[in-house]
Amino acid sequence: MNLFIEKIKNQVYKHLILILGTILLFIITILSWYADLPFLANVIFLCILYSIMGMAWNLLTGYGGQFSLGHSIFFGVGAYTTGVLLARYGITPWLGIFVGAFLAGLNGLALGVPFFRLKSHWFTLATIAASTIYMLTFTVWDYVGGSVGLNLPIVPKELAFYYMYYQGPYFYALLALVILIIEIIILNMIVKSKIGIYLTAIRDEEEAAKHIGINPFKYKMIAMFISALFTGISGGLYAVRFGILEPFAVYDIITVSVYISITGILGGIYNFYGPIVGAFIFMPITEYVRTNIVVRYPMYYGLHVMVVGIILIFISLVMPEGVLGWLEKKGILRKETIIAAPEGD
Amino acid sequence: MNIDIIINAIIYGILIGSVYSLVAIGLSLIWGVMDIVNFAQGDYMMLGAFITYWLLVLLNIDPLVSIIISFGIIFLLGVFTQRIIINRILDAPMFSQIITTFSILMIIRYGAEAGFGPFTRWVTTSYSGMNFSIGSVSLPLTQVITFIISILILIILHVFLTRTYYGIALRAVSQNREGAILIGINVKRMYELAFGIGVGISAIGGSLISTFIPIYPEMGGYYVLLAFIAVVLGGFGNVYGSYISGIILGIIQTLSAVFILPTLKDVVAFIVFIILILIKPSGLFGR
Repeated sequence: MNLFIEKIKNQVYKHLILILGTILLFIITILSWYADLPFLANVIFLCILYSIMGMAWNLLTGYGGQFSLGHSIFFGVGAYTTGVLLARYGITPWLGIFVGAFLAGLNGLALGVPFFRLKSHWFTLATIAASTIYMLTFTVWDYVGGSVGLNLPIVPKELAFYYMYYQGPYFYALLALVILIIEIIILNMIVKSKIGIYLTAIRDEEEAAKHIGINPFKYKMIAMFISALFTGISGGLYAVRFGILEPFAVYDIITVSVYISITGILGGIYNFYGPIVGAFIFMPITEYVRTNIVVRYPMYYGLHVMVVGIILIFISLVMPEGVLGWLEKKGILRKETIIAAPEGD
Repeated sequence: MNIDIIINAIIYGILIGSVYSLVAIGLSLIWGVMDIVNFAQGDYMMLGAFITYWLLVLLNIDPLVSIIISFGIIFLLGVFTQRIIINRILDAPMFSQIITTFSILMIIRYGAEAGFGPFTRWVTTSYSGMNFSIGSVSLPLTQVITFIISILILIILHVFLTRTYYGIALRAVSQNREGAILIGINVKRMYELAFGIGVGISAIGGSLISTFIPIYPEMGGYYVLLAFIAVVLGGFGNVYGSYISGIILGIIQTLSAVFILPTLKDVVAFIVFIILILIKPSGLFGR
């Protein structure tokens, strides 16, 4: 009984922190809108953007055990679909983002068919190679703007809402927050359902999972589809927020794929909320360095990424299980029951 | 289609492929000895290229002399990296190892970008533009020198691995880590040696490529991906296979530039890579 109460308490605390965090972020964004603080709102937007992608990535990597460094593919497909539909056909991003997400999901399925035959780092290498193929193809594909990039049109003020065209990051930060909340609810349901439990089983012992009748391929594909879907939504948000899509930026291995994995690894990939914690730790630091040093002194371009590298080395040497995993190990947080980290490995 | 164009493409493929081979040899050595996938390999190569550049600009040292210096410096840097970072993650989970080498990549590549500026630079010597021709084929001198040096390095590495104590110990460690510990080999020291030599050889590749291709701080990202293809093609951890596959890769690239589209030559290489790891992950020369 005592244990039961403690479990309930733990759940309530977690949800309370989540709800309070959401309200806090909402208020900060609204306040920064009135006080006109674009830096703050931009950091919040980027943190949420990478949280969305990190959570999606973690379903595949933390739960499914498939270490993907090719999520820039889904990000790019989502961004380009939204961008092309808007720039070429004038279709509203309210629809375009979801079309992009769906296409990203389909790309995920198409890549999953061959790649899920690969084990451990071979899968990672294949995803890197695939994202490079996408990048190189988009640089020569004139329909999507080629290597020059695709510029989204400037929209008159009356149609701002319809075309999601706003100055500054405030509107997008709020929109991203709503999407993040929806994503948390959906992923929470998936993780608690048999899909999440099967995925964890496959991650920990694929052969054993097979023997009790789980089809590893099917559940990896489901995880891939959902993962790609939400990453695609993020891509669409990126497109409407920045208004310019360049293949070298959108399909970049470091600032997209590796950054997504950093959110998870920094926060703890065996924790449901790990990627959010990770994104809110490293994004403000790198953005602070970028806007305060790199923008002011352009000859130091690259410093902001180097800082991320230093944080990452520190994390992988001192707390390889991530911040939340480390807190669990120290006994400050209670261990999540379903997705305990595999022993040894 | 003229037959001369094809012959030209194959010869240029061999010449440019010998540079991919040098990066791939280093990657293959590290991968084979300690089962670490070093994504930062291309960035050690970039550092080698920049050492050559700065030695030429500041001290007027010829690139052919500075390859020895860049090997030495990057060897020490590699030993240092292995000692303070990689030795601590040898038993870590796979994702942790990959992300650690990525963080080394980010520090080196973007540190160099912040330090040197994101500019493209050329290493120009008195013999940079020289050509000589055999029949209808015109050969750039610097690329031929690169090819010859790459073969020399392969021979030296072969002698080192088969004839010296350290080389034999290195192979012993890569075949059986516990067994090597039992017969009294200092495994961590051997790993430091392997990482140092591995990144050192890639740095030589960087020094050599700087004599005929412009260099910039982000160049490593491209060559490391090609090196991965070569290592996988050559069979995991097989140094000689990696060398030959580097050259095959160069030929694939130049031929697809001729037959398909120059801008798609890398796409072809990566598609070959994905098909290969799907069909035969042990590589062409693997067991």
